Amino acid sequence: MSREVSERAARVAPASRGSAPDAPIPNLVEQRIRFEPDGSVTAFSGKIEFGQGIRTAFAQIVAEELRLDPERVRMVMGDTAQVPFDRGTFGSRSIAQDGDALRKAAAYAREQLLRRASEKLGVARERLTIADGAVRDGGVRDGSRGLTYAALAADPPLAGEVPDDVPLTPASEHRVLGRPRARVEARDIVTGRATYVADVRLDGMLHGKRLQPPVRGARLRSLDDAAARAMPGVRVVRDGDFAGVVAERAAQAQAALDALEADWTSPNGDDQQTVVIPMREDDGVDAALASAAHVVEASYVLPYISNAPIGPSAAVADVRADEATIYAGTQRPFGLRTEIASALGLAEERVRVVPRMPSGTYGRNSVGDASFEAAMLSRLAKRPVLVQWTREEEFTYAPARPAAVLDAKVGVGADGSLVAWRYDEHTNAHGYGFAVDPRIAPFTSGRNAIPPYRFGKGRITLYIEPTPVRTASFRSLAAAENVFAIESLLDELAFAARTDPLTFRLRHIDDPRLRRVVEAVAERATLGERSSAGLGKGLACTIYHGTYCAQVAEVVIAANGTPRLTRFWCAVDPGLVVNPDGVRNQIEGGIQQSASWTLLEELGQRDGRITTTGWDTYPIATFRDAPEEIDVHVMGDEAKPSTGVGEPGTVPVAAAIANAIFAACGARVRELPIGAERVRRARPNG
Amino acid sequence: MKYRLRVNGGTRDVDVPRGTQLLEVLRDDLGLTGARYGCGRGQCGACFVLADSGRGPRAVASCLMAVDQAATVEITTVEGLAHDSELHPVQKAFAAEDAMQCGYCTSGMVISAVALLASSPKPSDAEIRDALAPNLCRCGVYTRAIRAVKRAAG
Repeated sequence: MSREVSERAARVAPASRGSAPDAPIPNLVEQRIRFEPDGSVTAFSGKIEFGQGIRTAFAQIVAEELRLDPERVRMVMGDTAQVPFDRGTFGSRSIAQDGDALRKAAAYAREQLLRRASEKLGVARERLTIADGAVRDGGVRDGSRGLTYAALAADPPLAGEVPDDVPLTPASEHRVLGRPRARVEARDIVTGRATYVADVRLDGMLHGKRLQPPVRGARLRSLDDAAARAMPGVRVVRDGDFAGVVAERAAQAQAALDALEADWTSPNGDDQQTVVIPMREDDGVDAALASAAHVVEASYVLPYISNAPIGPSAAVADVRADEATIYAGTQRPFGLRTEIASALGLAEERVRVVPRMPSGTYGRNSVGDASFEAAMLSRLAKRPVLVQWTREEEFTYAPARPAAVLDAKVGVGADGSLVAWRYDEHTNAHGYGFAVDPRIAPFTSGRNAIPPYRFGKGRITLYIEPTPVRTASFRSLAAAENVFAIESLLDELAFAARTDPLTFRLRHIDDPRLRRVVEAVAERATLGERSSAGLGKGLACTIYHGTYCAQVAEVVIAANGTPRLTRFWCAVDPGLVVNPDGVRNQIEGGIQQSASWTLLEELGQRDGRITTTGWDTYPIATFRDAPEEIDVHVMGDEAKPSTGVGEPGTVPVAAAIANAIFAACGARVRELPIGAERVRRARPNG
Repeated sequence: MKYRLRVNGGTRDVDVPRGTQLLEVLRDDLGLTGARYGCGRGQCGACFVLADSGRGPRAVASCLMAVDQAATVEITTVEGLAHDSELHPVQKAFAAEDAMQCGYCTSGMVISAVALLASSPKPSDAEIRDALAPNLCRCGVYTRAIRAVKRAAG
């Protein structure tokens, strides 16, 4: 990532704050809630479950407002033939957005059922009770005439837009929300019966492989497929630059693919420019820096890393002459439907996207490579086709998390207060599609670039640099890089100002919810107590899409410099908590995954081509690397709306670890991943 | 080529090319998709099954075992651990600890844990970490899974 490019770059119009591309989607009760004759409820969401636990949480939300056991609520998620439109499952927004929509739809349905029952029974509304699938006259002791939800909802069919001010069950009366609940899928998962996208089997289904172009945009000049065609059970298919094989057996398809001899043209280099987006431009930043008592100037560097799902991309497509069904591990079923319809030349309503669990993919399924390939292969072969990428294909062709260089120059006044904050974020496009659009990029590539502190005069600029590496979405997008830099900086500034990191942060925090989690985690982790040699604790925090998260990492440094994460503490406030154990699981997992990014991960690449091919060259954390304890303190604020927990736990981890390493041995490491060599080079005694 | 396999307490006949991976046979010929494809190189543990040649069950990568070799041992997949509707103690413990997120690696972890407890009924933390180290989990449920194995050990 060269800074020369930045200087030549065109400046684009500043983003107007609050212009996130989220036009409201009408919330219609008939699209959300269906009352079944057996007394159960089916509820509908366009969001996708891939391990975050929202299928369970949504069922809890609907059950609470409809006074049902959560067992009686079945969620239908993401099937474009069944659920209301949704933009996608990302940004830890599912509970905040669709959880809210479902909650209001269920509450509205409950109120309508009560109103209807009151009319039918001729009983005042206040005398009615509603529970377990029936509305009853609470004034009658025994043998009360009950009316089932289904009967009440049927005539006329319950329909209409859910008003925003529908009365919700107050927290004091919650019986389901805020109580731990096991995952709906748990039994299927432990018995192996859970059906992932790669487990879909259709009659007449073939195994397909696309011949991947060596680089994106390469054109297929010639294809020698004689050897592949000679193989039993194999067909070679081609449509322009798209070529592939289908076969009766997976191994045959792979052997045939390996037998193809292709000659590709190199694509013309894109003439892409750096996109420069000012995110904050106060007057007087340079003067404030000049007057500062202490100035810290530092650069932080993050490499390309891989989403690295345990299950490589897969999809099953059944494309007919005038319709198509795609079984996909997508995060954007409606977006994928549009893209597949366009690729196949079908009307959107002739394409159905049926989500199936992928493995966890952490943003990678914002783009639907395997689904597109399966659709094309199925169209050409006129049979249902399963595409299963290999591990090597997943590393080589999947998008990477962008690299980043964060240049900061920050000043502290004589009284120990921040006075000036200059921050240049150089990164690549985070997200898919419109990732460099200046109306959107501050929320994706510039996510969390603005510190949650009172920092004086600020100049914060986002530079989205072109790269030959294919980049897209990875859990928390740019928040990971920005919070690594910002929270490392806070410790460096505290050190310069001779203040401890906790006191320094608290002095600059105005938001009481952030203060609360920071103080809580510091206490639980006994931050500030003297620790033994070679052991250190580091603090970091963030506000991520409305969730407050503060963390302390404990590391031990071996004599050779190897950092080992031994314990971890987190305090998190995601507003009203739906499933406390679900919150803990997501935060724990986010910490474990982010610790792996921080300490171990870097994708190899040469001129934009990924050279990493397997787990041997891309080590991630294993059972042996897991900390002894991850203490997650859930301190939700039930008066505040629910916010997400899928991503926030990952965000402060890198800085917490880097700060712990500094506390342990005096090594300030500003480049990830942090291995023994970087620690040795940075520590005072080598 | 015809093979007679002993799988989950029964015998299954398959007709597949010689050298076909056991993982492919399980998933595509026997409809047992609980063993997952993860890497095809024995580096991730997602495809683990139990193989018993008479000396007790061992967790093996079914992506590295050819059907020819599989025909000489007793195979148990994750689908074969529960008896009727009664889950294996390890399965119960993983569910009770919510030691999963996406669950893609769970089959392999459960298999490794069953093999561990068969040879070491009261494993230490270090033994659990070593025994399950071949099972990669990207969602990061390691600490929960360690708790689950301990719970299963009683």
